[in-house]
Amino acid sequence: MPLTQDVLWYKDAIIYQVHVRTFYDSSGDGIGDFQGLEQKLAYLQDLGINAIWLMPFFPSPLRDDGYDIADYNAVHSSYGTLEDFRKLLDSAHSRGIRVIIEMVLNHTSDQHPWFQESRSSQDNPRRDWYVWSDTDHRYKGTRIIFLDTEKSNWAWDPISKSYYWHRFFSHQPDLNYDNPAVREQMWNVMKFWLEMGVDAFRLDAVPYLVEREGTNCENLPETHAILKDFRKRLDEQFPGRMLLAEANQWPADLRPYFGDGDEFHMAFHFPLMPRMFMGLKLEDRKPITEILQQTPEIPPTCQWSLFLRNHDELTLEMVTDIERDYMYDSYAENKTMRLNLGIRRRLAPLLDNDRRRIELMNGMLMSLPGTPIVYYGDEIGMGDNINLGDRNGVRTPMQWSGGWNGGFSTAEPDRLYAPLIQNPVYGYPAVNVVSQVGSGHSLLHWMQSIIAVRSSTAVFGRGSIDFLHPANHRILAYVRRLGNESVLVVNNLSGTAQAVELDLRRYKGNIPIEMFGKNIFPRVGELPYLLTLGPYQFFWFRLRRI
Amino acid sequence: MAEDTFLTDDFLRQLINVGEVDILVGLPTHNNAKTVGSIVKAIQSGILRWFPRERAVIINADGGSRDGTPELVTSISIDDVRRGPNPYALRTLHSISTKYAASPAVPAAFRTILAAAELLQAKACVVMSPESSSTEDEWISKLLRPIRNDGFDLVTPTYRRHKFEGVLITNLLYPMTRALYGLRLREPYAQEFGFSGRLGGEFLSQNVWDDGAAGSGIELRFTLAAITAQHRICQSFLGQKDHIEQRGSDLVPALRQTVGPLFSALAPDFPFWSTAVGSQPLLSIGPDHELLLDLVRVNRKRLREMFTTGVAELATVFQSILSPDTLAELQRVAHVGENDFAYPAELWVKTVYEFAASYHKSVISRDHIIQALAPLFRGRALAFLMEQRNGSEQDVENCIESLCLEFERLKPYLLQMWKSRE
Repeated sequence: MPLTQDVLWYKDAIIYQVHVRTFYDSSGDGIGDFQGLEQKLAYLQDLGINAIWLMPFFPSPLRDDGYDIADYNAVHSSYGTLEDFRKLLDSAHSRGIRVIIEMVLNHTSDQHPWFQESRSSQDNPRRDWYVWSDTDHRYKGTRIIFLDTEKSNWAWDPISKSYYWHRFFSHQPDLNYDNPAVREQMWNVMKFWLEMGVDAFRLDAVPYLVEREGTNCENLPETHAILKDFRKRLDEQFPGRMLLAEANQWPADLRPYFGDGDEFHMAFHFPLMPRMFMGLKLEDRKPITEILQQTPEIPPTCQWSLFLRNHDELTLEMVTDIERDYMYDSYAENKTMRLNLGIRRRLAPLLDNDRRRIELMNGMLMSLPGTPIVYYGDEIGMGDNINLGDRNGVRTPMQWSGGWNGGFSTAEPDRLYAPLIQNPVYGYPAVNVVSQVGSGHSLLHWMQSIIAVRSSTAVFGRGSIDFLHPANHRILAYVRRLGNESVLVVNNLSGTAQAVELDLRRYKGNIPIEMFGKNIFPRVGELPYLLTLGPYQFFWFRLRRI
Repeated sequence: MAEDTFLTDDFLRQLINVGEVDILVGLPTHNNAKTVGSIVKAIQSGILRWFPRERAVIINADGGSRDGTPELVTSISIDDVRRGPNPYALRTLHSISTKYAASPAVPAAFRTILAAAELLQAKACVVMSPESSSTEDEWISKLLRPIRNDGFDLVTPTYRRHKFEGVLITNLLYPMTRALYGLRLREPYAQEFGFSGRLGGEFLSQNVWDDGAAGSGIELRFTLAAITAQHRICQSFLGQKDHIEQRGSDLVPALRQTVGPLFSALAPDFPFWSTAVGSQPLLSIGPDHELLLDLVRVNRKRLREMFTTGVAELATVFQSILSPDTLAELQRVAHVGENDFAYPAELWVKTVYEFAASYHKSVISRDHIIQALAPLFRGRALAFLMEQRNGSEQDVENCIESLCLEFERLKPYLLQMWKSRE
């Protein structure tokens, strides 16, 4: 299946986020690899995925799971070779699957040769490649992101006897983007991968590229200028490729990252995600509709990226204090589940393994405006292990079967890069791909069908959204429209049956056709349209005028 | 549930949209636009401040206001269409209004509120007065927390009042309720109170709604129902109660709303109060009362005149109601000089008990009995005002306590009267 040539392919994408290390081990060393991922592309194609986002696979001391990069132009030997990666790329493309890779612009590992050189002396040519200071007083007031482990954004380097700036772990010194050489070098890095055929970059931690005194050192105009320059070069030299911003900011602060369609193509809608969980627990659509109503319009070529979970903690940075407390009490009563300002749990455990809630959340993911991202393993309802440190509890081996090592690897179990989930509810004997393929009503089959329905129309990826505001606040209802096509989505956020009257006068005369079973419902008339929904039930109706 | 016409289809539809709630605030209104605005803001603030995570609803049962009262109440809804003053409220807050299908009357409003509480499965409820301009957001918490957190079924208020306010409560309702029902509940006839969904549901299904005599004073019947069913009751100090100017002509309606229902309740509640002995204190959250002592003007001459005139002009009526000894004593008191005027506690208690017994037997029209009490109450009020003119807070409290003990001491007298008239 060839790749589509549509430059707006990302609007129709169903993205699957995966770490090479976690997916499938072809070599038997206990660590997933490129060849293993390549062997599983058929599975992803069957699921309906048409883009994969690979987490960092570069050489790295792996103190931050690969986000501490020590060499931008190679791959970690644990995952294979550059040639293996090229083959994976080609195989993916042949199946119509695009490949998005990470690009950590903001910082490197302290083991990167650039930093080793930079710290070696004040006169080194790469001295100015990082942000150095004689004191730790500069940029006061800048928030600390990894609150649980870092006390300061400055770290003392005993070798160069000065401080260096780091917005993340202290072993991840920030690059100095005021230095043109840094900017040029990073473009060359991106170009290296683009020439190989990579379709897109997820640019990690972009708000923090530039620092200025008297600011919060986030989202600065200089940062946007740098990103716009990268985008300009991308469009000139590699049309059809895509940049996805990781910027955990309020919607109004996210908007500038799209520019006038000349900066990022896509950005994660971070503030929406926790509010979906909040709305579900409150049984109230208010948090969801309010954040979307606050979300500014973006250029027509741009797209939000939606997700339920990812490799990081469920971030609660972009919520109010009262909302954060509520989320902690609702979803992470056990304090070991909390990390930094978030909750380090997978989707299924967060939702108490309630199949109805899992379906509802995925239903919203697939029908709200944006491109959905499915985190690996969530399609089969994998669990987590909060006893593993940091965020590793949500990065355990993919569970392919109930057999040896969950079908992930032929290695001795002790050699696995991380232990498999073993408990009776989420353990690999209970939750795995093989058994779900064999069960017609499994979550996996359900995910396939909802992805298929979503992909059957462009309205979800490219259409507008009009919220209905039924008086029953437990119902989240909206109409997606693109051209002549309209889809009515109705979600019951509560665990009890609900009745709702929808004002559909605007669609009078249309016949709602439920999109999964294709059954027709009563025609829309003048009167409020009465629907009843079971606990956590949702409907997608194509509105058809015949 | 009651007959079809009790809840309108439109109101039912609104209740469906609200769904199950944890907290329900009931607000009965009729042309209260002057005061209700600040009250609903205090309610909203109270819910957001003290119960931000709870599912809450405000139910306005309106008697057909023409001054925009319902619109003022519903305007404080918080939802994703119309954001209230606190855009960071976690939840939707519904504030809905219905016109109950009856002429304006508190019982119909209260019944509507109780019905809504049952249909919405409300765990804790509070009724607020639409006239109280001293309402604070903390009142919501003070009336609801004992129910939500401590399992009480009824929370009645206590207030900071002027020592000469609420004389009907301090000199009749409180001591009589205390003596007969055995519980030292300071405000048996409250306009702000909290109750559990369980208590509300029980009272809703009682056969009181078509009883004209109990139709007024439904709040008092509610309190007595909670006592006789031995629900857990406490009282919670709310603070200042705003002073409402009382006109002389307000007394008879006030007696009808309070003493009438109290007297009416004695018959059905006889098995309970006839066996209750003494009185028990109940948990008071905060002080169980506070008094303001500033000087106020009292028209003593007018009060005495109304008392003595009443005693003289209603002599034949009193002959039907009172015992000869009590009547004779009253007539003697009526002739005492102004400066020596007194209406001793024992005489007052006997007066009240004889009225209660006569009411029970309906020796004359019950409404006439209530009306006839008015001049005698004025006499008692005058005596109290004179006695406590310079009284300290402790003096006043001692006086009320003595009166309560007198009511308790003479309870056998009531029982004797009650049986002798059967």
